Amino acid sequence: MAERTNHNPAQAPADSQAPAHNPAKNPPPAQNHDQAPDRNHDHDQAQDQAQDPARVGVYICYCGGNISDHVDVEAVRARMAAQPGVAVARTNMFMCSDPGQELIMEDLRAGRINRVVVASCSPSLHEGTFRSAIARAGGNPYQYEHANIREQVSWVHHGQAATDKATRLISAAAGKAGLLDALSPLRVEALRRAVVIGGGVAGLRAALDMADSGIQVLLVERTAWLGGAVARLGRLAPVGEDASGLLRGLAGQVLAHPGVTVHARAVVSGFGGYLGNFSLTLSRTPDPDVNADVNADANANADAVADAAPLSKMPSKTPSKMPSKMPSKMPSKMTVGGFVRGLGVLAPTQPDAASQDQGPLTVRTGVIVLATGHRSYTPKRGEYGYAENPEVLTLPRLIQHLADTEAETGPLLVLNGRAIRRLAIIHCVGSRQIPGIHQEDESGCLNEHCSRVCCAASINAANQVRERHPQTSVYELYRDIRTYGRGQEEMYAKAAANRVVFLRYSADDAPEVRRCPAGQGFPLEVAVRDGLTLGQELRVPVDLVALATGMVPGPVAELVDMLKLPVGADRFLQEVHPKLRPVELPLPGVFLAGTCQAPMDIGEVCSAASAAAVKAVALLSKGHVELDPFVAEVDEQACTGCGACVAACLNKGALGLETLELDGAMVSRARVTPALCLGCGACVAVCPEYAIDINGWTLAQYEAMVDRIVCRLEGVA
Amino acid sequence: MAQVNPDFMETLRQAGTDTGAECNNCGTCVAICPLAEGHFPRLMLRYAQLGAQELILDQAQELWRCLHCGLCTQTCPRGANPGEVILALKRFVVASWRRS
Repeated sequence: MAERTNHNPAQAPADSQAPAHNPAKNPPPAQNHDQAPDRNHDHDQAQDQAQDPARVGVYICYCGGNISDHVDVEAVRARMAAQPGVAVARTNMFMCSDPGQELIMEDLRAGRINRVVVASCSPSLHEGTFRSAIARAGGNPYQYEHANIREQVSWVHHGQAATDKATRLISAAAGKAGLLDALSPLRVEALRRAVVIGGGVAGLRAALDMADSGIQVLLVERTAWLGGAVARLGRLAPVGEDASGLLRGLAGQVLAHPGVTVHARAVVSGFGGYLGNFSLTLSRTPDPDVNADVNADANANADAVADAAPLSKMPSKTPSKMPSKMPSKMPSKMTVGGFVRGLGVLAPTQPDAASQDQGPLTVRTGVIVLATGHRSYTPKRGEYGYAENPEVLTLPRLIQHLADTEAETGPLLVLNGRAIRRLAIIHCVGSRQIPGIHQEDESGCLNEHCSRVCCAASINAANQVRERHPQTSVYELYRDIRTYGRGQEEMYAKAAANRVVFLRYSADDAPEVRRCPAGQGFPLEVAVRDGLTLGQELRVPVDLVALATGMVPGPVAELVDMLKLPVGADRFLQEVHPKLRPVELPLPGVFLAGTCQAPMDIGEVCSAASAAAVKAVALLSKGHVELDPFVAEVDEQACTGCGACVAACLNKGALGLETLELDGAMVSRARVTPALCLGCGACVAVCPEYAIDINGWTLAQYEAMVDRIVCRLEGVA
Repeated sequence: MAQVNPDFMETLRQAGTDTGAECNNCGTCVAICPLAEGHFPRLMLRYAQLGAQELILDQAQELWRCLHCGLCTQTCPRGANPGEVILALKRFVVASWRRS
């Protein structure tokens, strides 16, 4: 539960000069956290201001000419100094610099001011900087108002108009600042528990890191298996570690960790709550049948001719027309922690499965880590001959085959009993699509992103084929090679040494895969205009074509709807800031890990997962978290309990009606759950009694701003 | 439309060297060659790498630009030995000419 503690005297020196108005109304923080927020806050504030009137300090930034080239900063300063309520008005070349911040801090410490306005760039850049400076000087960081006179003034207006607009904006900010209360951050109790959604490498890594830090972790996985996409891989680029060994190790650590509970064959079907106290409903996926999983995997892409005869899981030199599935006895032999290529490490049955209770389960958690992964692009029918020719398959299938047959060597690669003399790998299939050149999918979307891992995966596969089967020639048809990580460039160079032949095509003149004319001895040929041979048209007769399919967003539409997750133009989940906050979401307490966010390789996935884990642990470490206090607050005396605000509220659960005793009578009143409130103000707009307000953005503060914008100002047009 | 043929490398090996298969088409040999015009000798190495025999025979006269100064071989970052490949290609062309 959350608690609002306004008027913490320790944080508001101005208040400390006044006697405590009513100690009962000022519960000390960290206690009574189930109590309703302090509802008498506005009355207190009125008294405070009577006792310690606002003394606003206005600080105007030159921004090194960015502002002062267009705004007459000194003229604005003189105008502001003459305004009522403004105690000091100063300028500085860079307010955000240490000397600039020191100006504010010195005025605060000397008691000259108790409210601060900085007029500079966008608040998204430096609001936090100045709030922090105020706090360091012993002031209340919420008694601060920011005026943006760069993006909103000097970058778009010039001359007198710029100076006048800057004056109006700063004057409005000063008007508002005079009414700013000494708010305290919302304090939300946080459960020291985490839910990780997705049991691939990202989820496993994040779960392990959080559990190692003492957080109780529940790992939710849709299938019966841990390992995700990595379970389908073999020798990994660039140095050739074994994916199954890596996965066995990681999953084994997770399964053995007392701090992690794995909840396999479950999906998230309900979501509620807020940072520190989320509630998730887990529903069981249909009756788990390990054998069915194995078959389902073998028949993935069953509509494709290429995969209708699935790659053999048995030694490929056994020619067999039969789809070779796992032996049916296998599942009964499977033990928890056992590994099956293509599926992963078998997860334990759920802790509550013994009770045969198949109903949904509700779990409470402090944070959520999303590790839902990606999907491999499925080529369209006929795209590079896919699904129309049995000799065309996807690179992931080829990689799985290479992993399944790792012990085999021999002059020629053998696949489904067929010797492969020449193999062509076509890059950028389903990635880097260009409007007007590539065809949109059913939902009208193109994958314009680079999938990043397929170049390395293709070259790695080519090297394995060449090293294990020296008589099999490999052709790589690429647009651009992006072997960007440590060791990958060396791997690329090794491919040339291995005599892999590279052919370069352009996106608007893509290779064509077609049946080879009879008598040529090959089933297929690839026709390509090769940029490395001065645009020469070449025919490459081949036995097999592998399509290096990219990564596309996973099927997480339900989660996106439920958690209202932001999705990028590429349809991957989108972080708050790509550089500075790369694993966070705007929804506090929910983090991103791995390929649900963007294509990345296993090392990058683990970096992201560990980053998400550290962020989560840091949030939960104190047992409570602090949020900005800009949320709705109800005046119970004025509220009539009409419920209009509850109907208008945009975030379910943030506002409700409750019955309480007021002046001896039982009445219905609106009640805010501060941790859920978005601070949007929809409730304020509909309240007929003006009984609800947003702290830090009250109606009175807005009115003061409007007054200052429309009033006559000396010398201002 | 020329056809790609990996078996040509064996022919070339018998004619002298098959190191041209390791060429990564950087073009350093073109930059250093004192006599070349256009894309010589890289393009010839490329034809050899692809096994595009008909293109090699069509443009065989290009091969005789080369005076075997060895600068390309000295500077080749991949050790593909372009000078020796050109010499092998000359032998291949002559042998093919004799046969026809």
